[in-house]
Amino acid sequence: MTLSVALGPDTQEGTRTGTEEATDSLTAPDIPWNLVIWNDPVNLMSYVSYVFQSYFGYSESKANKLMMEVHKKGRSIVAHGSKEQVERHAVAMHGFGLWATVEKASGGPGGNSGKSGGPGQGKGKRG
Amino acid sequence: MAKAFKYGLKGITGYLEPAERELLRSLIDDVISMLQPQERDGQDPLAALIGLDMDVAEPTDRAVRRLLPNVVKDDGAASLEFRQLTERSLRETKIGALRAAALDLDKDEIVLTTEGAKHWSMALNDVRLVLAERLDIRDEEDAEHVHLMQDWSQAEDVESYLALVYNFATWLQESLVQAMLQSLETRR
Repeated sequence: MTLSVALGPDTQEGTRTGTEEATDSLTAPDIPWNLVIWNDPVNLMSYVSYVFQSYFGYSESKANKLMMEVHKKGRSIVAHGSKEQVERHAVAMHGFGLWATVEKASGGPGGNSGKSGGPGQGKGKRG
Repeated sequence: MAKAFKYGLKGITGYLEPAERELLRSLIDDVISMLQPQERDGQDPLAALIGLDMDVAEPTDRAVRRLLPNVVKDDGAASLEFRQLTERSLRETKIGALRAAALDLDKDEIVLTTEGAKHWSMALNDVRLVLAERLDIRDEEDAEHVHLMQDWSQAEDVESYLALVYNFATWLQESLVQAMLQSLETRR
């Protein structure tokens, strides 16, 4: 409840002209964002898989595949969605104690850009 | 000696000795006290009520920072903005799970519902994250090193004691999660 109030689109003021992120999240909610889970030496592999299965509803094999990717490659993109969706997931992951971040699907190392073909999406994050 | 959690007809059950329950209770209390939001003078009560905290800052304590991590990598400003909107309720979620687990420690035999088991796994995980920061576990090698410490008669200093406690919490969480995975499979 807190989150839906807090993250409503109108909490972003349009005063900071030039910051594309604010503009993007207002005008193009369909720009895909990634939820990234990072490896750490504390979280149990079984626990990470359990979180992926129970929270996202992933099958055991999908959850284990993502978990192994986190473990071996250091990070894995485990969900996509609007900025609001992945932020909501990130808070849930932090609740479970997993180390989660959000990033724009087109930016960031290792982020697969997906097929974001909407108008006005050619702009990079940094001009 | 504690018994590993298992999944059965009654749900997920476990058993802990009084000394083990006492230990877990004090660890849980420590983590709760680290997560308790600081009440400041002049805080907007309405903002606090809906979970906003405009005065929030990135935690200085490494363990607290691990419990409440930045949401955007290498972007302190965006992460801080997100903290203002979400950190208070995240702290409350975590404290809620820790308190729920602490309540279950009143009895020798622990019988958990699905929701109760989830709270326990979250609580044990947060306890382990804090212990791991105190033990300086940074990579798999550090974790392996700590894992070697299994003999309570070797506990001569704070660090070896913490390592033993960490290993106990790890063992307990692993058995709990295995039971939870079994329960998940059965419900499918």
